[in-house]
Amino acid sequence: MKTNYVGKSVPRVDALEKVTGQAIYCVDVELPGMLYGATLRSPLAHARIIEIDTSEATRVPGVKAVVTGKDFPYTFGHMIKDQPFLAMDKVRYANEPVAAVAADTEAAAQEAVEKIQVTYEELPAVFDPRKAAATGAPIIHENLEKYEHSSMYKIVPGTNVCTHMTYSRGDVDKGLSEADEIFQNEFYIHPVAHTPMETHAAVVKYDPSCRVFTVWSSTDAPYQRAKDLAKALGLSFNQVHFFSTYSGGGFGGKGAIVAEGIGVALASFTKGRPVKVVYSRQEELTASQVRLEAFLKLKTGVKKDGTLTARVAEITWDNGAYSSKGPEVARRGALTIFGPYRTPHVEFVSRLSYTNKQPSGAYRGFGTNQVTWACEAQMDIIANKLRVDPVEIRLKNFYQDGDRYINGQIMQAAGLRETLERASRGIGWGEQNSKSAGALVRGKGIATTIKGTATPTDSYCFIKVNFDGSITVLTSSVEIGAGQKTVLAQIAADTIGVPLDSILIPNPDTYATPFDFGVTSSRTTYHMGNAIRMAGQSVRKEILEIAADVLGANPQRLVFREGKIMDRDSEHEMSLKELMTKKYGGKGGSILGDGHYTPARSSIIKAEHGIQWMGSIFWMWATHAAEVEVDTETGVVKVVKIAAAHDVGRAINPMACEQQIEGSVMMGISNTLFEEFKMDKGRIMNDTFADYKVASMLDLPVIVPIIVESHHSEGPFGAKGIGEPALSPTAPAIANAIFDALGIRFNELPITREKVLSALRERDSV
Amino acid sequence: MKVSIDLTVNGERHQVDITPWITLLELLRETLHLTGTKEGCGLGECGSCIVLVDGTPVNSCLMLAVDAQGRQITTIEGLASNGDLHPLQQSFIEKGAVQCGFCTPAMILSAKALLDENPDAGEEEIKQALSGIICRCGNYKKIIEAVRTASDRKADS
Amino acid sequence: MNRLKPFAYFEPTTLPEAIEILAAQEDGAFLFAGGTDLLVRMKRGVIKPSAIVNLKRIEGLDQIKKEPGRGVRIGALATFSAIENSHLLRLSHPVIAQAVSVLACPSIRNLATMGGNIGRASPASDAAPFLMILSAIVSLKGPQGERELGMGEIFSGPGTTALRPAEAITSLFLPDMATHSGAAYLKIGRREGMDCALAGVAASVTLSGVKIEAKDTKIALSAVAPVPMRAKKAEEAILSERLTEKCIRKAAKLASEEISPVSDMRASASYRREVVRVLTYRALMIALQQAREG
Repeated sequence: MKTNYVGKSVPRVDALEKVTGQAIYCVDVELPGMLYGATLRSPLAHARIIEIDTSEATRVPGVKAVVTGKDFPYTFGHMIKDQPFLAMDKVRYANEPVAAVAADTEAAAQEAVEKIQVTYEELPAVFDPRKAAATGAPIIHENLEKYEHSSMYKIVPGTNVCTHMTYSRGDVDKGLSEADEIFQNEFYIHPVAHTPMETHAAVVKYDPSCRVFTVWSSTDAPYQRAKDLAKALGLSFNQVHFFSTYSGGGFGGKGAIVAEGIGVALASFTKGRPVKVVYSRQEELTASQVRLEAFLKLKTGVKKDGTLTARVAEITWDNGAYSSKGPEVARRGALTIFGPYRTPHVEFVSRLSYTNKQPSGAYRGFGTNQVTWACEAQMDIIANKLRVDPVEIRLKNFYQDGDRYINGQIMQAAGLRETLERASRGIGWGEQNSKSAGALVRGKGIATTIKGTATPTDSYCFIKVNFDGSITVLTSSVEIGAGQKTVLAQIAADTIGVPLDSILIPNPDTYATPFDFGVTSSRTTYHMGNAIRMAGQSVRKEILEIAADVLGANPQRLVFREGKIMDRDSEHEMSLKELMTKKYGGKGGSILGDGHYTPARSSIIKAEHGIQWMGSIFWMWATHAAEVEVDTETGVVKVVKIAAAHDVGRAINPMACEQQIEGSVMMGISNTLFEEFKMDKGRIMNDTFADYKVASMLDLPVIVPIIVESHHSEGPFGAKGIGEPALSPTAPAIANAIFDALGIRFNELPITREKVLSALRERDSV
Repeated sequence: MKVSIDLTVNGERHQVDITPWITLLELLRETLHLTGTKEGCGLGECGSCIVLVDGTPVNSCLMLAVDAQGRQITTIEGLASNGDLHPLQQSFIEKGAVQCGFCTPAMILSAKALLDENPDAGEEEIKQALSGIICRCGNYKKIIEAVRTASDRKADS
Repeated sequence: MNRLKPFAYFEPTTLPEAIEILAAQEDGAFLFAGGTDLLVRMKRGVIKPSAIVNLKRIEGLDQIKKEPGRGVRIGALATFSAIENSHLLRLSHPVIAQAVSVLACPSIRNLATMGGNIGRASPASDAAPFLMILSAIVSLKGPQGERELGMGEIFSGPGTTALRPAEAITSLFLPDMATHSGAAYLKIGRREGMDCALAGVAASVTLSGVKIEAKDTKIALSAVAPVPMRAKKAEEAILSERLTEKCIRKAAKLASEEISPVSDMRASASYRREVVRVLTYRALMIALQQAREG
């Protein structure tokens, strides 16, 4: 189908608002009568709360409410209902919210917070998830078994382990016995912060008469947050109303109740006045969400020629003090440890343990950063030992169309080969490395990744064709910064047959925009795109029927493109505006189409009974090829170039795909080389950008974004997704390049300058 | 204790009575309701709050509002003139230099200050000028392209 | 938001007035110049001034002026941007522009002042090393009158200076550099962008007329001791031998041995030592090259 917009790099439809400073983010929301919230946080990582004295705080001028866990004794949790809005009998991580204040000004609220006195009884704390998972560790959630939780997550009673997942296929012992060589390696990947430039924030208003909470938030899934709040407070879904603002970045961190929780607790006591809670950067870094830390053990059997025979994995994940989305990361994220490779015999154990640290949650990749780190580092270890080219060993083993995934799903649109070939070409793979210049040594490395999307999930939308031919698309897909609105508008425009600028997509409002699972799991283009296709086809059909009636024509003979309808027989023409005005311009009316997409009934996801959930309606593949230059006297690793190839199915907006690729390469470089939490007794010492370093413009390498299109058979115009897989291969590609340059293997992240220099000294002293 | 200050923001004169301990950032966002300037950290480490003071980029979170006395402040809201976008606003849209948009005001204003002083700024100079602004979306490459495009166009015009 | 707590605010228009206010406020008053250190530490609660004395209404404190035949005087309130862009300083002391270009970032440099940087006395100051190798002299004015201190005397400990109560830095004087001189400042952080130095090294070399021997050399380091310091043993090694590459390597090694770095959340002491050795060598080589060309 010829398209006017799909496949073109149309400018982002939200860009104008953003370049003029008009875009409203959650931190910008101002409402009449609004109060401001501030939070008192625990200085200790694990302690009983003995007493809280708020008397002095309530006397600060301007203070309207002071709330503790005793006043608001509720818990929430999407997967395991384990997290209090405000700490109740104990605190489980340093900087956990203990009390909150709402006042006329934020300054007054902050002043009042400082006047709250809390007496704690310190408890032994545990910070390493391996220690926390062991018997005898201090128990962080004494009532773990009693928490409401999905049966998908196997809790181990009497321990800190809240998800224990095992899976095996084939016979790993047989597989290992067939191997010519067995590799056993251990890997570590550190927790990192999302650091969106817009910190977590929420404005919450509670109407005590109809018991409705209205929440303004830049969360990535307003329906899920509304659902979790309603459940936590014993309300019907109708009683929690979310308005989505623009988001100043989320990267998964806004996929949980964070500032909203404090806002809800405070608004319950401010007699209908809205309360705004904005996290400071320090709160953002220490008390929001982080990527799950993981210890990974991988044992792989290979034949001499590089064919994989068996893989056994053991992963221990750090949940932090509260679950957030940790359980699903540990359950589903774990699976792709086997990589995009056919392996006849696989087995894994995945364990998620609480620790007395900041809650871990969804982070761009949902577990794939962690498992790709291990898998792709080991592929290179294997390639190096067997003297097989790293690209070749991957080509030898990777999934192709028609292969079966570990759950029996048949793979389609497997564009991995093309990503491998084009990315490696992009950095001159196989060509000799540039000669060392003095202390500077160069190296190249590649890594691949596989990621699926949560399947099945649902997306609904409405499309209104207004009485003047303008079009409003009602969707709960949030513009989190990746171009969701633009891509969805392009799909709508081409499906209906109208100019792009006749379409407006307002921000989500859970009273008006229908259900969406969320802007998460790289799913929006595919799922909401398909819902929009369905709704768009429906309104298009109705437009043609009305046109046939008005023009006295045969609907099959009508051409409708770029907002113009033409009758091929009579050659009469009419614009959509004229048509709608004729039909509805008098007393008003509109055309309304709806679309509900779910992949639940697609034959693509058919797999073996009971493990269909392991599959995905679409798989995303990517290869990153990195060239680094190491200063062997200072340990400075400069990323010279990264060629990043991504199979997106179909690029609805190539420029937007480049934004994702280029952007996550930067995030990957940052996570790999600069970012690190420095802890002291569970307290994060580097709680500002002064010491939690994030990549700046001066760290930008040459980035070559490569778009591969494998055309998914059921994706909108063949599209799949891109947001997350863009990040996973960067770390192992860099580490593999460093190995090529120095012969030093880093199995732990981050790879800081100091660690590189230290490893060089050790290498050279031998 | 209040201090009376007189300042011009985006060409408009304001006289405000303020406490001396508020920053220019707070004055802009909370007193004048110009929310285009953002707080990313409040400690001068991320650049989100950059505005132009007499044409010079500064971190407004580290400038006391009292020091804005008699100065000309330009925020992102003041860049378009008579409804026409500044060439940088135009090129940022065209070149895909906007993702979540939170760092965009700071990037555009800093780039404007650079090009006003050095119309021929090359990639290295652009990187140095914008080095203090964090873009977590990682859109640095396209931001540089947008600045170069605006500079090339100015050169042509 | 990170906000400031209330304080008494003063905007003197003359220096004597400022000094008088400082003296009257006793310990609770802080001088306010660029604010890029002061406001950050106030917002973080590290310091809690009862009063702020804004120096920026006082005329004449920000000038960069040539004192013909002697050197250049930089006003305490000159911003680092003004210093970096000063045509005068680029000619007289080119190392300054080079060093200042890696100090923070442009928007901070548009606010931050030289006087503020010295007054803050951070052990990791990016300005102190080049001021030390240029033998800067700091002018002070207080209730007891005016006096001068050398860069070796101005810092008394991490974050503290030898300033007496109610004393203010008014300017810094930089003597002209000798002919056949070169200087460089190298610093390493955790990334390429703005960062506090994990180690910073400024080095200058002045060659004798025949250009094979060092007539003078100065090496100053930051972030590797309680205060910015001169690497005197390294300097002696340069001056006592023929200026060969081997001599420079030896000096670099000595520099790394005479420092007393700490291990903190930014870097370990041993990394700092390694890096000082490398940066000292590289800075000296650059300085030497410049001296030969100059």
